[in-house]
Amino acid sequence: MSGYLTGVLVVLAFNVMAAYAVYLPLAAGQLNLGIAGFMAIGAYAAAYLTNELGWSMWAAVPMGSAAAGLVGILIGIPVLRTHGIYLALATFALGQVIAAVFLNLDVVGAAAGYPVTDYAAPGVVFACAIGVVLLMALISRTRFALYLTAVKSDATVADLMGISVRGIQVAAFALGAALAGFGGAMYAHHYSFIEAQHFNVLLSVFTVLYVLFGGVQTVWGPLVGAAFFTLVPELLRASDQWRYALFALFIIIFMALRPQGLVTASLFRLFRRRSKGASA
Amino acid sequence: MLSQQIINGLMLGAIYMLVAVAFTLAIGVLNFLNFSLPGLFMLGGMLAFGFLKLGWPFFLAAGGALFVAALVSLLVERLAYRRMREGDAEVPLVSSLGFLVLLENLVLIRYGSDQQAFPALFADMNVRVGGLVIGIAQMVSLAISLGLVAWLSWFLRATNAGRRIRTVAENRETALLMGINIERLVPQLFVGSALLAALAGLLFAVNYQQVSPFMGEGIGFKAVAAMIIGGMGSIWGAVIGGLLIGLAEVLSISLIGADVVNITVYGLLLVILIVRPQGLIGRPPAREKL
Amino acid sequence: MSAPAPTATPAAAPALAISGLQKSFAGVRAIRDLSFSVPKGRATALIGPNGAGKTTVFNLVSGVYGVDSGSIHVNGVDVTHLPSRRRIRTGVARSFQNIRLMSHLSVLENLLVGQHVRASSLAALLTPYRLIPNHRWKREARAALAESGLEQYAEETVGALPYGVRKRIDLVRATLAGASVLMLDEPAAGLNPSETNALRDHLKALIARGLTLLVVEHDMHFVDSICENVVVLNFGEKIAEGPLSVVWRDPKVREAYIGTDEEA
Repeated sequence: MSGYLTGVLVVLAFNVMAAYAVYLPLAAGQLNLGIAGFMAIGAYAAAYLTNELGWSMWAAVPMGSAAAGLVGILIGIPVLRTHGIYLALATFALGQVIAAVFLNLDVVGAAAGYPVTDYAAPGVVFACAIGVVLLMALISRTRFALYLTAVKSDATVADLMGISVRGIQVAAFALGAALAGFGGAMYAHHYSFIEAQHFNVLLSVFTVLYVLFGGVQTVWGPLVGAAFFTLVPELLRASDQWRYALFALFIIIFMALRPQGLVTASLFRLFRRRSKGASA
Repeated sequence: MLSQQIINGLMLGAIYMLVAVAFTLAIGVLNFLNFSLPGLFMLGGMLAFGFLKLGWPFFLAAGGALFVAALVSLLVERLAYRRMREGDAEVPLVSSLGFLVLLENLVLIRYGSDQQAFPALFADMNVRVGGLVIGIAQMVSLAISLGLVAWLSWFLRATNAGRRIRTVAENRETALLMGINIERLVPQLFVGSALLAALAGLLFAVNYQQVSPFMGEGIGFKAVAAMIIGGMGSIWGAVIGGLLIGLAEVLSISLIGADVVNITVYGLLLVILIVRPQGLIGRPPAREKL
Repeated sequence: MSAPAPTATPAAAPALAISGLQKSFAGVRAIRDLSFSVPKGRATALIGPNGAGKTTVFNLVSGVYGVDSGSIHVNGVDVTHLPSRRRIRTGVARSFQNIRLMSHLSVLENLLVGQHVRASSLAALLTPYRLIPNHRWKREARAALAESGLEQYAEETVGALPYGVRKRIDLVRATLAGASVLMLDEPAAGLNPSETNALRDHLKALIARGLTLLVVEHDMHFVDSICENVVVLNFGEKIAEGPLSVVWRDPKVREAYIGTDEEA
């Protein structure tokens, strides 16, 4: 594999992990605009464990993920009292605050950035991304995934059916945070350097953008969205300056024509029916 | 020295206030968090800068920038807002963010990514009051901002057009029953909020004599914080929130340091959202019916 | 809930007992000192003119609203202050006047949500049931659909289905919680005559199975064919109770209905 291709695929792997971190809470109706903040928590916590406590990456990365998940629970409980736009803005503010805290935290290098001593090879990153996709595909086959949609479409009725709406909401929020933290921790160990400025609001916003572009009705939407977002700008490389403008234009027009996103449930049903028809 | 900082904070707050009012018009009446507004803010400053560079006189350049911002806002209405009736509520948010990215990159392609110096309108004219230095430009823009917001508040309260807007804000179905032409009102609101945002960008450029393709992001996002803190959908809430954020920003820079601005501003927003989501002077949302 | 509440007298307890219920909204008294009970294994109707407070009673029993005062017992268990989410476990489930199905989900998925109380362990939550062909949950849901003659809709997205079908799926979902008391909010509204007949058969089958029904319904012929007992509400107050034929001759009931809507 050429160095260029490997580099692009590593970016894709990180974007896929980030995409599912946005997707999980979004499936329950929570727009998390602060996902970069949770990535930062995972990245910094794991890097700290490797650097200062001499932990192996294999222990540090899960701990970084758990730290982000724990913060997700602690913050999710008060923040999830808000809904809709208020929740989106609360997570947005949260992302800004977390990034700003790391920017001022001298123990992890503050504004100068933080080098990381252990290294995760591209193969490890790919394996992790594939693992995340498989795990999400498995989760999408459970009642938990069903309840995410149920809570999103009618929380009152879900509650009357005996479902713990708060429990599902906090779980979705915290699992998304843990996943973001996992991606962040891997990011820190692959690039061997992190800086707080990387985990800014645009990282969160772009991730949300391509998840919605891919569509949130099925578990494959985020994967398609992340792949599209990573690979198409690479193909547009010829006009380097124009590629973000073209990409934005494309998103606007696409969302106007197909607001449910690229990959929808009815699309899947159509495929299934076709294949059934073909085999019959 | 502190009183100088307070004055600086209020001056900055006036800019936040205008953008926050633009956001609050969109969200209060249309229930649309219009993230293209920071882009329109930037267009107000950058296009005026570009037109001035072409040798246009100031008022023509300013008018041209506002006009283009209004046109772009109509496009946002067409391509982002009208799609709200289908799909999830997040879609228009995403499209409007798409507009922000698009505008920033188009301007970047034309003018480059560097910060540019905006020509001074009132060359070094300052008023000194007992040791305080107040720029004429800042005074003028504070007066324009406050005057505009006061007028808007009067307009919504006392005119027929204003009453129609408030009816739509309270209940769309009632408004339809009363024969209000929502299809016509919505584009007008988009133009109105675009003009407010672009004017704020223009005033920012005149005040601080600098423009860049990304000038809208920081200001726009803090204006959203200002709107929430004051109370979504309330004009005077946006005013209080805007001034409060401006003060918090300037004071935390001078008392603690520039790096903590985001912690204070967005920390304040987060606390307000948890403790009092309806904002300082907003009303709590109504309960749903089964 | 494993230990019986002190007030419980299982053998004699009615399925649903409402006593001294009061509820006001913004100063308007929606329910005034309402008491009645629903005997086990029978169908009782809750009737009254529009705005009499019938749906409010359902909302108070299921916990959508908290009561101002009074008490609600389900199968002898005091649920008055139980969080709404826990009430379905005491054996009371409901349908909705304006069908509250999750329209993006398929019919089968909606029914699986209805099964939740019987599959609420962490293991159940994380079982990838969709990968298991013919999983017990899916089988049960399909069987319940087949009983109402709706099995051909199992995989359809709810939002695309006609009103009468959705109305009946809402009812099927309520039955899947394994509840012994069903509160049905206008189950026959908007159904055509053949659908109404199918609904009647379905409800009779449920009663034969030992379930208790509390039905809000405007169609008095339908009420007459199902319910032995009716409770009449007007302005949040009980104005009569007894068999429909008796209650209907009550001058207070006549007065309540005259000038509003004269059905029956």
